[in-house]
Amino acid sequence: MRTKLFALLVVASILLAACASAATQAPTSQPPAAPVKETVVVKQTEIVQQTQIVEKVVEVTPTPGPNPEAVIDGVEPNAELTMWTFWLSPTFDDYIKSTIARFEQAYPGVTVKWEDHQATFLDDYRNAFAAGNAPDVANLSDTEGWVREFAQKGLLFNLSDNLPQSVIDQYYPGLFNLQLVDGKSYQVPWYQAVAVELINKQLYEEKAGLKADEFPTNFDAFPELCQTIKAKTGTLCDLRIAYTDILRDMAYQGGVDVYDPATKKFTFDSPEGVAWLQMYVDMAKAGTIDRNALLQEDRVGLDLFTSGRAAFYQTGPQLIREVRSNNPGMYGYLAVQPAPVGKSGALSPTSMAMSIKADTKYPKAAMALAVFMTNPQSQLEFSKIVGIYPSTPASYEDSFFTQVPVAIEDQARPIAKDIISKQADIVPEYPSPADVNEIVKKAVESALYNNVPAQKALSDAVTEANTLISQ
Amino acid sequence: MTKKLSLTPYLFLTPALLIIAVFVLYPILAVFYYSFTEYDIVTAPRWVGLANYQHLLQDPTFWLALRHSLIYLIVTPTLIILSILLAIAVNRNLPGIQVFRALYYLPAVSGSIAVGITWRWLFDTQGGLLNGMLIWLGVLKEPVQWLSEPAFTLPIAMLLTIWMGVGYYMVIFLAGLQNIPEELYDAAMIDGCNDWQKHWYVSLPGLRPQITFVAVISSLAALKVFDEIYVLTLRSGGILDSGVTMVFMLWKEAFRLSHAGYASAIALVLLAITLVFSVMNIRLQERDAGA
Repeated sequence: MRTKLFALLVVASILLAACASAATQAPTSQPPAAPVKETVVVKQTEIVQQTQIVEKVVEVTPTPGPNPEAVIDGVEPNAELTMWTFWLSPTFDDYIKSTIARFEQAYPGVTVKWEDHQATFLDDYRNAFAAGNAPDVANLSDTEGWVREFAQKGLLFNLSDNLPQSVIDQYYPGLFNLQLVDGKSYQVPWYQAVAVELINKQLYEEKAGLKADEFPTNFDAFPELCQTIKAKTGTLCDLRIAYTDILRDMAYQGGVDVYDPATKKFTFDSPEGVAWLQMYVDMAKAGTIDRNALLQEDRVGLDLFTSGRAAFYQTGPQLIREVRSNNPGMYGYLAVQPAPVGKSGALSPTSMAMSIKADTKYPKAAMALAVFMTNPQSQLEFSKIVGIYPSTPASYEDSFFTQVPVAIEDQARPIAKDIISKQADIVPEYPSPADVNEIVKKAVESALYNNVPAQKALSDAVTEANTLISQ
Repeated sequence: MTKKLSLTPYLFLTPALLIIAVFVLYPILAVFYYSFTEYDIVTAPRWVGLANYQHLLQDPTFWLALRHSLIYLIVTPTLIILSILLAIAVNRNLPGIQVFRALYYLPAVSGSIAVGITWRWLFDTQGGLLNGMLIWLGVLKEPVQWLSEPAFTLPIAMLLTIWMGVGYYMVIFLAGLQNIPEELYDAAMIDGCNDWQKHWYVSLPGLRPQITFVAVISSLAALKVFDEIYVLTLRSGGILDSGVTMVFMLWKEAFRLSHAGYASAIALVLLAITLVFSVMNIRLQERDAGA
């Protein structure tokens, strides 16, 4: 009996505690608009025709005024969105949280649950689709081909047909039209990186006797430059081929037409393609490039440069701070020059994007969030805390982008608008990009490391790739 | 007299069985099913019958990976020999011997990713310790690009496996050596054996159960090698697939190329191979037990 009484008391106290915690729950960081107490004068008529004045307290929730950042109409009320970003936490927690708070104020009732995924982002995203719980909005990489991978499988939301034209127009057209699938865009472009050439003046100028401000403006000059650097400094050139998308490098650097959409055939074994590959083969044979860095992750090249073992390195200026923290002594010897342009004459975008899953319950709210995160105001604020560049021309009208910067890592800021406005996707859509890249990678490796003639390696790869996509 | 069936033991077993069913049995059955499908993880699998297995037989990368996995088995005898030698070396009461035992064991408790990164630095072209030493000694005139030479990928990975495993297996052999009665060594000495002969005629036969055990688990580990290749080749598998093993190929097909159905077929072939080794293990252990 005593036991039962005790159990009853425990249950009762738990219930009371639960009620108390619900009642005393702390307000969220961004509370909804507070109710306002107003005094309303009501005329109440009595049967005796006498007028009595009474006071009545009513709660009125003020209707939000037009918010210039709320550009999507008809957002689903009380939508609960999930959003994934790629490798932004914890460094940018404050920025992301404050932007979400602004979004929730602009679209009252809509809530956002944010998660940041890092090295396993792509696996997590694939698994989330398999499990049926993919986020409504996700930060995908255009450069890595993620948008096209998922859009080709019908998993992403068509933004070309669903966003108002006025919203589409706030982005650079070349960036909104990245990674098209059947001519439609499945992303809104977010932050961009501008490729620049970092130069270690100690090696490049003092030892090699070259001038940083005369750094080559096109790729053709690299073989001779690397020969000079090796002869004078004993170091190797730190060049890289984008091993996850080699055809992109062929197209931008070598001006190669890699695929013919009309015939649906690969054509990268053209004389231009062979010349592009032969340039790297010749440099590898001459021992003037670090073959270890050539077909590897960017990390390898950055480490080589940071540790003072490479005279120059192509990267985004945001990585200069890494040089400053890892090798402060070298920071004073840094120079920045525009990255050389390939035979295509076009500049390859390095773009992050926001995409929406095709079967989201809240398409309007998800579009509103993707657009809000990438709008000129949000991107301008992001640019001010890290060296990224907006995909929206309006952001560059701020004095932040027009003032002459002092720090070396900010040198690209005044020229970023010009560079980004010229970026465009020149590689046509083709099927099975990951499998085709494997074929091309083996061809390039065969020529570089196995003495297979460049022409034969590429022709064999074209045959294999065409067979693959015809199956 | 009939025995009354008690449900109690089964109730106790249920949680463990449920966990095994969800996390072991179901994945195995799922892999078996997926191996007959074209499956990219994000969209529904499509039944293709034996196509994945047919493709496997014609895929030169699969045969290369299988060859690499079999070559990798060389680490097993190397590990056994080195571990026994180390165990004999530290199986004596010398001052500070505990420190040596701990040092030899240290790689076994170090994270394979951290060790792999350290080894990348050792073999680095321009700043690596190995190139630096060889140039300093006058053996090399120019640095060798160790990690981008296809011929070196597998040997460097095998060296890493041996370096990481030797301390662990040394402890197993050390335990075995300490179980061999001292009288046997005394008898061997009376019979005129020198130190080398004592170990040949006493230590090695005494370590036979441990040798069998280590041979089996290290060969299974060698067949399943992944971490070393993943880190040393920076997830690429090496130039011209020079470091691609069965498990690495499985991972690459499933998670880099989104061919989960094909990867499932590779997993089942690997399962068949490891089953052969497991059966050999049981047979050898039974033979030892009977001897």
